[in-house]
Amino acid sequence: MKTPLSTEPLFTLGPVAISEPVVVTWALMALLTLGCLLLTRRLSLQPSGLQAALETVVEAIDGQIRDVMGAEPGPYRSFVGTLFVFILLANWSSLVPGVEPPTAHLETDAALAVLVFFAVIVFGIRANGVVGYLKSFAAPAIFMFPLNLVETVTRSLSLLVRLFGNVMSGVFVVGIVLSLAGLFVPIPLMALDLLTGAVQAYIFAVLAAVFIAGTVAEGRPHGAPSPEAS
Amino acid sequence: MTLDWWTFGFQTVNVLILVWLLSRFFFKPLAAMIAARRQAAAAMLAEADAARRKAVDAAAAIETTRAGFAGERAGILDEARTEAEALRQEILAKAKAEAAKTESDAEAAIAGRVDAQRRAFEEEAARLAVDIAAKLLGRIRAPALSGAFLDALVEAVAGLPESERRAIAANGAHFTAVSPAPLDAEERTRCRDRLAQVLGRAPALDFATDPGLIAGLELKGEHLTVANSWRADLDAVRAELARSKDR
Repeated sequence: MKTPLSTEPLFTLGPVAISEPVVVTWALMALLTLGCLLLTRRLSLQPSGLQAALETVVEAIDGQIRDVMGAEPGPYRSFVGTLFVFILLANWSSLVPGVEPPTAHLETDAALAVLVFFAVIVFGIRANGVVGYLKSFAAPAIFMFPLNLVETVTRSLSLLVRLFGNVMSGVFVVGIVLSLAGLFVPIPLMALDLLTGAVQAYIFAVLAAVFIAGTVAEGRPHGAPSPEAS
Repeated sequence: MTLDWWTFGFQTVNVLILVWLLSRFFFKPLAAMIAARRQAAAAMLAEADAARRKAVDAAAAIETTRAGFAGERAGILDEARTEAEALRQEILAKAKAEAAKTESDAEAAIAGRVDAQRRAFEEEAARLAVDIAAKLLGRIRAPALSGAFLDALVEAVAGLPESERRAIAANGAHFTAVSPAPLDAEERTRCRDRLAQVLGRAPALDFATDPGLIAGLELKGEHLTVANSWRADLDAVRAELARSKDR
């Protein structure tokens, strides 16, 4: 049985080892890009049913960003929305026989957590400037600076661990049950994994939005309106 | 548990690329379409609002026009009333004048009729008076009266111009002596003698009677009549009366 705790290379391109999560991610990227190209080819002001469904997804993401961040979703939509869509598809890729979800591997989750870490910094600086962003670490008092600094790292780590733990454990459990019981026994657990995967994708994306919103809001004077909201 | 840095690096880059791809091919087109639809809806709403405002303005304009119509109607009614009053006064004045004229015409006609009637009555009265006089005088038959009328006739003939007297006495001239009652032979002879004295010769003379003369003796020829009777006198009187009335 393969273990998600270790990543074995599928093949190598010179010194570069290409692992399964990378290949699956590429496949997902290709699928998503191709799908988007096909689905958004004929957009019109009078939407078809499919276009209406896609617009509903976008508006749902926008609504969540508005609710969580209290800002217009424009600058954050692509990042937060991509996190949600990618993690959701990656989690659900376990339904394809023989495919292990990329999010069940530490590298993918770490990559996502690192991207969120840097996104928080980038959006914080863009909203408040470098000084404003750095000042946000001293809020509400200067002695909070080290704690805020540590929190910035730890909350990204928590993202990583939460996603990795949930998805990896699901894969583990399904694998163990499959090896012990039979072909159809793990199906309920796989169905549960679908739910878990959707919830984890939602939690990861919402927490990323919360972290970004926290940094953006902390740099602003109390009561000042969000620049994006104007 | 180990961390494969190549995988970590690839996944980081992959997710970044995916963020760009989805942004380029999914989120931006759909968000732009949603925004365009909102803009179109807002434009339509604005257009509808403008159309509504336009309709409200048009309704207000119609209301103003209607109010103008009402004012104009009142003005026209006032003008018509004034004109009707003036026309009424004019018609009334005309009618009054016409009535006065008709009245005066009627009065004049009545006066004319009364005058004509009065004249007719006067004529009738004169005729009656003459008739009465004629009847009364007709009862007087005296030889003295005949002699007086013969004298008067001879005097009248003598008073005629010379040419007329010659015409009476000329050969071929034929005259009739008309009396109200037949003359006897003596009276006829005396009549011829007296006329012969005046005319120089005896005229060719016949004798006739006409009771209408009442009393008198007249000489009537083809072109000449010598009136000498009460009838002629009464006729002259009546004519004179009529002339005096006319004057």
